[in-house]
Amino acid sequence: MDDDQIRSLVDSRNGTVKPAIYSDAQLYELELERVFGRTWLFLAHESQIPKPGDFFNTFMGEDPVLVVRQKDGSVQVMMNQCRHRGMKLCHADSGNTKAFTCPYHGWAYQVDGALQSVPLEKEAYRGKLDKSKWGLIKAPRVESYKGLIFANWDESAPDLVTYLGDMAWYLDGFLDRREGGTEVVGGVHKWMIDCNWKFAAEQFCSDQYHAPYTHASAIQVLAPTPQNKPDGSPLGDGQTERPAWANGLGGVQFAGKGHGSAFFFTENADANVWVGGEVSAYFRETYPEAEARLGKVRALRLAGHNTMFPTLSWLNGTQTLRVWHPRGPGRIEVWVFCIADKAAPPEVKEALKKSHARAFGPAGFLEQDDSENWIEVQKVLRGHKARQTDFCMQMGLGFEERREDGIPGITNGTFAETAARGFYQRWVDLMTGKSWNEIEAAGAAWEQEVIDA
Amino acid sequence: MTKFHVCAAADLPSGEAKRIESEPAVSVFHVGGEYFALADLCTHGDASMADGYIEDDCTVECPLHAARFCLRTGKALSQPAYIDLATYPVSIEDGEIYVTVESAA
Repeated sequence: MDDDQIRSLVDSRNGTVKPAIYSDAQLYELELERVFGRTWLFLAHESQIPKPGDFFNTFMGEDPVLVVRQKDGSVQVMMNQCRHRGMKLCHADSGNTKAFTCPYHGWAYQVDGALQSVPLEKEAYRGKLDKSKWGLIKAPRVESYKGLIFANWDESAPDLVTYLGDMAWYLDGFLDRREGGTEVVGGVHKWMIDCNWKFAAEQFCSDQYHAPYTHASAIQVLAPTPQNKPDGSPLGDGQTERPAWANGLGGVQFAGKGHGSAFFFTENADANVWVGGEVSAYFRETYPEAEARLGKVRALRLAGHNTMFPTLSWLNGTQTLRVWHPRGPGRIEVWVFCIADKAAPPEVKEALKKSHARAFGPAGFLEQDDSENWIEVQKVLRGHKARQTDFCMQMGLGFEERREDGIPGITNGTFAETAARGFYQRWVDLMTGKSWNEIEAAGAAWEQEVIDA
Repeated sequence: MTKFHVCAAADLPSGEAKRIESEPAVSVFHVGGEYFALADLCTHGDASMADGYIEDDCTVECPLHAARFCLRTGKALSQPAYIDLATYPVSIEDGEIYVTVESAA
């Protein structure tokens, strides 16, 4: 598929996309190179690998990588692939090690990726193997942002903060509520969904619109009630009864550099209706500290959705952070982390873990609703006619603005598809752009055009 | 015969090992109040046994290829090692650990 054909799939000016972007195998192969091969990808939280030799086994796109804490405290990211026959070196999800030894022939690498030992080196290689040339392939760019570790294969990519742009302001509201930052509580939930990665990423980027209807039953079931829990604080204890979107105070959707975020204004430091009472009490009690650090708008923001392009998404309040690892055009592996303020007391972390799993774990009330939609759309796309049909992405088209109250970026009302249009514009720019200068210039031109329209 | 000072006994907790840069290199292991000294280089590959995994059954497992050795006798207990590790006498004098190494030279 050539660049003009790729450009014809997305019309962000008029708000249409062609569904081939979700189903075409050739496009998917190009995405691995042009999207996942040159964007900043979230890998792990610093709290998961505190000690030298600690590692976390994950993926950059489809490439398996090890995120490893070094003896000097730095973090290195290396391919989890032996240089001899390409075997996956390490099969543990995470842990601590002195070395990575390949299960196939036994090549052993130091935690910094250097090839340390080759079985039968003298007899088999006759002393002729230059081990210094056969270390693990390393990601050339590794950066942390407030506890989150990212890597990028592209040496020419902008630095992480530049890549984030205005999205950093929204991310700070999630990671920087209290002194000491955040940590991951509990393990990582992982499961498969039969849908394209862009359905999940775009929804968290731009789609508040589905929530009142798709999640109607979950919201009904999880509504605050004093009766449903005899031990501890009942679900939603002390919280505003209606979900944020029913309070009529308006809200904001943000778009920039392919990232997106949205939330509603509120007067109470409430999470959504679906967190345990201990968690909502915690948010109310710690509100003054959060306000001092973040200002009123972000401190009150304990609901809403976010995607950092391409595949990192999170929700404030329920504190779910997830990566949509691509597994072919029609499948994703979802990896979900629960994020807590490090300074939160242990009982609040425990309650948060339960609240998180109840709403957004693999069997979570809200998670189930979302997966079902994405799977069914993907199934429809098996049809020939279904793949020719334009999708409508025109919500709020032409109503974009830059606000003057300090909320940064291109914005619109909460129910809009500005962030989706920005997401797919960034996707096209990456799929067709020859250099990062070209990609960044195309993104800036689109944003200017949106405001001028 | 050379007698090497290893460290104070208090500085080597049970379950840990310390490598001595003798010729050949020797590692001293501490398991539940008993001290053992063995050749540090795994007889299978280029691995320091001081970096190995010390188990409660008085064995050490090579950090690279999982060969196991008996800390008491140096005996190779599992594949891929066939050759035993040499052992050396350890003594504790006034709370200090010493090992005597018969130089190969």
